[in-house]
Amino acid sequence: MTTDTEVLATAQQLGTRALSWLHTCYQGGWGRLADNTIIDLAEPNDVYKPLCEAAMASSLVLRDGVAGPQDARAARDMLDGAWAQLREGDMLYERQLRHVTVTDPLETYAHFARVGYRHAALEELLESISRLRAVHAVEIQGSRQLAVANARRVIGLSHRPDWAELAARTWLGALPEPWTIAWSIAYQVTHTVFHLTDWGARPEDLPEPMRDYLRAWLPVWLDIWMEIGQWDLVGELLIVDACIGRPMLGSSGWEALAAVQRADGLVPRDAEPVEEDPESAIRAHEHTAVVAVVAATVLLSRALGGAGAAAG
Amino acid sequence: MPFAETPLRDEYAAAVERVAGRTLDALRGGGGTAALADPDTVVPRPLLAAVRVLGADLFAPQLLTGAEPDGPTAALLAEARRAFPAPVPASPEAAQAIAWQDWAAGRVLARTPYADTAPGSVPDSASDHVPDRVPGHGPGHAPGSASDRGPGHAPDHVPAPLPGPAELGWQAWSVRMAQLSVLALPGLDGPVHDAARTDHLALARGAVRAMLRRDFTTAVRLARWLAWAGAEDRPPHLEVEPILDRIRLVGIGAVRTRLELAIAERLSEGNPR
Repeated sequence: MTTDTEVLATAQQLGTRALSWLHTCYQGGWGRLADNTIIDLAEPNDVYKPLCEAAMASSLVLRDGVAGPQDARAARDMLDGAWAQLREGDMLYERQLRHVTVTDPLETYAHFARVGYRHAALEELLESISRLRAVHAVEIQGSRQLAVANARRVIGLSHRPDWAELAARTWLGALPEPWTIAWSIAYQVTHTVFHLTDWGARPEDLPEPMRDYLRAWLPVWLDIWMEIGQWDLVGELLIVDACIGRPMLGSSGWEALAAVQRADGLVPRDAEPVEEDPESAIRAHEHTAVVAVVAATVLLSRALGGAGAAAG
Repeated sequence: MPFAETPLRDEYAAAVERVAGRTLDALRGGGGTAALADPDTVVPRPLLAAVRVLGADLFAPQLLTGAEPDGPTAALLAEARRAFPAPVPASPEAAQAIAWQDWAAGRVLARTPYADTAPGSVPDSASDHVPDRVPGHGPGHAPGSASDRGPGHAPDHVPAPLPGPAELGWQAWSVRMAQLSVLALPGLDGPVHDAARTDHLALARGAVRAMLRRDFTTAVRLARWLAWAGAEDRPPHLEVEPILDRIRLVGIGAVRTRLELAIAERLSEGNPR
């Protein structure tokens, strides 16, 4: 069964409007790193993380090449802006040089490198760091390990991880009792899939037992989190559905997100009232817009034969 | 004992809990009979009503150990079915659920000397929404075959089959299957059971959804269906034992629900079907 054209239309409109809202917010001055930002970020979640997330969504819009010209321009504009904020990668380079075992410069750089923003010195540094035992011994969650591994793969570093072992070390890899899932675990599951499949470019890289497991239980998880209006997580589950091959979740999640999306494109992260102050609104709902853009991009890309795979 | 002012509904609900408790004791005691009423006295109406509500589950202690339904309980159930007309269903769906629950009771009674003599009193014909006689016609289901499966000889009135999960969605369908959990007993088989076999994944999804929503009554009933289907070597989409364990440890209030939990546990242990 191919994805219904109505679902594709709903997804396309959802993603376009969310991207437009993000772009408008950034054009309006949101997302500027303070001039005195240094490599020891005091508040990494304040501006840096959202900036990187918007860059990630924009890079997938460009990678998959299924967006219209206006969306592609908005995505390029946000990437250019973010890259400038990061001083063409110098800030990432300096931060990584100072802190050997942090992973955010590596992960952030991958989004830019994916679509041609390169920094030779940073790549040399990352290549060198990835030869250290210390870097691979850092104790982090399974899905985070996959994020790092996928970033190295996207950049094209020579390190070759044991993907099967990394996959097996995640919560999803254990194929756990599906009724034990909790909100925070659900995000680990979605991210395990994002990184194993490189955001839908490699659906076949998800181990078959994990795919079967997700096909069995994604509908249940979508149902319960839709019921309580956890729209951000609903969007992430829709990305997973698109990443693992033929989508099977149908239209209900897409229609629900489209129904809660505001006219300006903001998608509320949950069922709580949306803050009217624009600064508070972007802080609270930026991630959900990113999710909506990625969900629509991956779904459309897979439906059109996987443009991401062609690019990779 | 209830006070004179106790609303009738409370009195009847308490009777259901008492009868479920007796049945649960019998089940734990290894298949004995529940000795629900003193044969020499007039049976109180709340007790009769409770017996009618529990229906086929009254015989769970015997059916799960491969024994025949016991005579005194069968006599009581037959009396209850004569004494109480089917409740007026609130909806076509409720009418169908009641019809299937009564079908299950009738099937078990058919194995005893107390088989219904007046099928007209059985509620599957009491509702305009439920055809008087509908041959089983689920997928791959030969017309009338449901009537031929059980050991009973009396002609059955088989209620209309439920629409499947494809029509209702797995969520609504699984909730309706939960309402029919009394059918998940050894010795009963028909179109509803065929659906439980065919749509095992939809049952499993319903059970997981109920667990996540902390609706343990629905969860235990669907786990009971899964345990029933598992006793037939269906491919397991979901391990039932951890769910039953979890529900037991969380603690569920109603004795009737605890009876269903005990039945599910027995089914998952692979008792004779």
